[in-house]
Amino acid sequence: MNSKFSLKRSLAMLLAVLMMLSLAACNTTPSGTETTDTTDTTDTTGSETTGGEVTAEPTYTYNTYTALSPSNWNELTYQDNNDTQIMSYIGSSFFSYDFKFDENGEILPGEFVMKYDAATKLEDVSAQYVGTKWNVPEGATGYAYKITLREDLKWDDGTPIKAEDFVYTMQQQLDPLVQNYRADSFYAGATVIVNAQNYVYQGQNTYVDNSQTGLYTVADLVKGEDGVYTQPDGKAIYFALTEPLSWCSGNTVTAYSAYLDAEAFASLQALANEDGRVAVTDDTIALVTKLIDTDDWGHEPPENVPYYMVYNYEYPAVDFADVGIFVGDTEYELVLVLSKSLPLLKEDGSLSYQAAYNMASLPLVHKEKFEACKIEPTEGVTLWTSNYNSSVETTASWGPYKLESFQAGKQYVLVKNENWYGYNVEENAGLYQTDRIVCDTITEWNAAWLKFLAGEIDGIGIDVTVADDYKGSERAYFTPDDFVASLQLQSDVEQLKARETDGINKSILSYVDFRKALSLAINRNDFATKTTTSSMEGFGLFNSMHYYDVENGAAYRNSDEAKKVLCDIYNVDYTQYETLDAAVDAITGYDLEAARALVTKAYDEALAAGDIKETDKVFLTFGSGAINETVQRRIDYIANAWKELVVGTPLEGRLEVETKDFGDAWANDFRAGAYDVCMGGWTGAAWDPGYFLLAYLSPSYMYSKAWNTAEQTMTFTMAGVGEDGADVTETMTLLEWYDCLNGASGAKYDWSATALPQSLRLQLIAALEKEVLQVYYTVPLYNNFSASLLSYKVDYITYEYNTFMSYGGMKYMTYNFDDAAWAAEVAKYDGELNYK
Amino acid sequence: MYMFKYICKRIGLMVVTFTIIFVTCFVLVKLLPVDYSVGFGEDTAKIEAQLRARGYDKPIMEQLVLYLKRIVLDGDFGIGFRMPEYRGRAVWDVFIEKLPPTILINIYSSLIAIPIGIALGIFAALKKNKWQDHFISTAVMVVISVPSFVYASLLLFIVCFKMDALPLNIASFADIIKMYPEKNLVYTPGTFNWALYFNKEMFLSMLPAVFSMCFGSIAGYARFTRAELTEVLTSEFMLLARTKGLTKSQATVRHALRNSMVPIFPSIVGEFVSVLSGSLVIEKIFSIPGVGGLYLASINAKDYDFFMMLSAFYLLVGLLAGLVIDLSYGVIDPRIRMGAK
Repeated sequence: MNSKFSLKRSLAMLLAVLMMLSLAACNTTPSGTETTDTTDTTDTTGSETTGGEVTAEPTYTYNTYTALSPSNWNELTYQDNNDTQIMSYIGSSFFSYDFKFDENGEILPGEFVMKYDAATKLEDVSAQYVGTKWNVPEGATGYAYKITLREDLKWDDGTPIKAEDFVYTMQQQLDPLVQNYRADSFYAGATVIVNAQNYVYQGQNTYVDNSQTGLYTVADLVKGEDGVYTQPDGKAIYFALTEPLSWCSGNTVTAYSAYLDAEAFASLQALANEDGRVAVTDDTIALVTKLIDTDDWGHEPPENVPYYMVYNYEYPAVDFADVGIFVGDTEYELVLVLSKSLPLLKEDGSLSYQAAYNMASLPLVHKEKFEACKIEPTEGVTLWTSNYNSSVETTASWGPYKLESFQAGKQYVLVKNENWYGYNVEENAGLYQTDRIVCDTITEWNAAWLKFLAGEIDGIGIDVTVADDYKGSERAYFTPDDFVASLQLQSDVEQLKARETDGINKSILSYVDFRKALSLAINRNDFATKTTTSSMEGFGLFNSMHYYDVENGAAYRNSDEAKKVLCDIYNVDYTQYETLDAAVDAITGYDLEAARALVTKAYDEALAAGDIKETDKVFLTFGSGAINETVQRRIDYIANAWKELVVGTPLEGRLEVETKDFGDAWANDFRAGAYDVCMGGWTGAAWDPGYFLLAYLSPSYMYSKAWNTAEQTMTFTMAGVGEDGADVTETMTLLEWYDCLNGASGAKYDWSATALPQSLRLQLIAALEKEVLQVYYTVPLYNNFSASLLSYKVDYITYEYNTFMSYGGMKYMTYNFDDAAWAAEVAKYDGELNYK
Repeated sequence: MYMFKYICKRIGLMVVTFTIIFVTCFVLVKLLPVDYSVGFGEDTAKIEAQLRARGYDKPIMEQLVLYLKRIVLDGDFGIGFRMPEYRGRAVWDVFIEKLPPTILINIYSSLIAIPIGIALGIFAALKKNKWQDHFISTAVMVVISVPSFVYASLLLFIVCFKMDALPLNIASFADIIKMYPEKNLVYTPGTFNWALYFNKEMFLSMLPAVFSMCFGSIAGYARFTRAELTEVLTSEFMLLARTKGLTKSQATVRHALRNSMVPIFPSIVGEFVSVLSGSLVIEKIFSIPGVGGLYLASINAKDYDFFMMLSAFYLLVGLLAGLVIDLSYGVIDPRIRMGAK
């Protein structure tokens, strides 16, 4: 009997306790509101009493959402755009872009002005450091800058900010014990601070590529009693089979084994240790000499053998006093010394566009908080970590907003930072109307969409499923970006063949005519309309967001050189048109008839070469990082276009496309030759198209990794770049041309932006773009545009996208309703707003 | 005594099983290559140096020993490394913070589903082959065939959006703190403050998710109870119970129901266990910051510390649940004696 009752009692108790815990609280009336609408952001605490009457101050809250909650907004460690969403509100800039207004206060489209923000002065002080330990070249400019800070800079807790704080932060940024994710921003990009890399690398024991440093010849090495050569100090030196070498254009020897002597390669492989390194002995020197002496490898001479070596090296200790950042003559002066010239000032001494692009600010952390957030490594680990800027308690702001609350995976709230200097700046009067920014984490677009229609969030991207109804809305706006979505077609013939099975053919993809046919079979305009919300057809590697001359607002795609590339690639004879623009307008990239002829041609050639059988099916695997509705829609469109392509050709009914999810490793798997087709592209370096070509020419970034750009040559005449404006005709590999274009060390010519006018560099950029497009490993499909809706509650200052200012951001955002008025307005429409 | 021995034996086996699976998981996940992508201007050498500094280049067994020492001596389960939402965050803190909403929603769902489901099952069994039984059985089949995310989408659109009867997603702590300033509520990351969860706003905002989850459970319990009870009601001992003078309701409640609970109760315990892994789809639809999908995401991202901590947790819970379920048979039906010969 007892057990029976105890069971009943236990269950009853459990039920009662849990229900009561929840429902008892339901009787409590929350102060200030009766509503259960949790997103009602009316701030009832912001009221004041005047003569016994309570007058509510209007509050302005911008409600937004993110699909992924940020994890850390630490400037030293952030990794992606997800993290920057908070960072952009809690930091400030030394220099910034702003709209350019005419005398009537109207924005001049596409133009910009440069402004000082947290800094009051920027001076080029390169001359002061010539002949010092900083090694600034005689007569050079852009190597050393003095930045004078405002004296009223403060953290949100009121702590003053001085130049020493930036120096402290840089020391933390480059701390070798932390290996901060963003440390390389100060030695691997445009901003190269003297000794920054050495400071990060100090103490590291590693193997250095001998071809990169050119340190040793065989004669420099010392032969031991065991016959193994070492460095003069006794440290190890090896031949590297599996490490990327500069001499192999960033690839490994193993990757190029097909071009090398097979017997020598096999012998070296047998001698290699687990790291793929082979000890240097007389025998292995002979083997490497034989390895590189082949027709396919250009019969390299024996003196090139050391270029295949890596040597052991321990980076020496570096004193931070030898790193090029320090406090100037006053506590508000910050001096920066660079190893590479960076033109932050124009000839007239005014700020160049690069001041806000490359030096908008330097990282800054709140010293006291940062020190408290350091986390010691545990046993077996040497890496120090930090939880700085990952919660309200660990966050410090010196920007217009500060973090009020943060709930991981749910919501963060930012409010005005009353200690921000900008609110006391006269020209900001009337700006920054937003009091509060509330960002919810909402993973499902449909859920966010309902919240938008209910007036609970103030902006949303338009999904393709509702695009037809809302693209024409008066609240819709369209934002271009520099991303060109392209089809990537497999370039690794060996891998294509290796994945063929009986009756299944893939290697026809190695025929350029077949790849061109695949390109011409896609109606890009129709594709963009049916599978994207608002993107536009794309034909080139670059789109209208890639500028070759930022100062003058010159977009690469609008140049004659770039237009001619597209006409050549898509077989449009521009001499037959009145203008080049008319010729470009005639490009569709879609020619089914020509495409079918190309399929037939490629098939016949493959048949004759024995690369395909008459009974084979062409089976292409289309991979992706995630197969969702949108991706599937795009793949289906392309698959259908290709099935239509082969109608009336020998491959009719013999082409199939399968879809496969490769998860996070999709890009690396494609590069490794694991499947045949993917859709990918690159974003970044939009203001340096010459550098951006890295994505299509360097094996480190290329999707078509097996396309050997270190072997592929191009003969080209660079007009007007020789002495006295003479032309220079050369035949070089594509990588060598690229190195010249970017002034890489060891390149035959320096045609970098600092050495040549942009107008002259343009011709080489166009020539290289054409080289990439005409092999059809990369097939551009569309230029990305995102379509969004903005709530009736707020307005941007402009709806014409400005490359430098976007739509004006929070600074210029204005409100048509305060929070209370908006709630009333939404209620008027029964909580369902109409944006059609 | 035999029960004690049985429990000791089971616990011993649990420890062995746990150790084998845990070590296997660690070794297998560490055998996978660490892949990383390199963006423009990024220094590959620095990324590799960071991996070395994390100890990823050490022999796997050495890493295992260090990992176990860290957990046992410091209670340190590591820091998130790969998943964008949890990079740099202590994995235990993330888990503890995300577990309560998942558990609460599932408990609320069970509290609604269990009594309703069992009651419907009993009713259908008692009205076997009558129109009430047919109606309930048909409804159960319909409801059970529809996945919970369909209910979630319908509830979100109709109840939350069109009718505006409930919030579109779960309340945030900031909302709750703002609504109850007099309570001086504080939210500290990585800790559990029950006052933030047990209040009207939070409860109401959880209801759409709770309802979405409980429809399927109601149908499941109703079907299971009906099947079990129907079988028991036709047993000979029920005839004996009636012939010895018990009323129909007495016989049903005291004998039939008790016997039919033998398989039903373990299924309830089993559901509570599955509760801990959460529902990925429901949590996504209602923006619930729960653990649903965390395990899967950690596997996809190869976030070692998250993967190992979650593996260990779910493994332990699964093994304990198995033991509890086995022992529960004896509680419900005293004739069942675990370990008895």
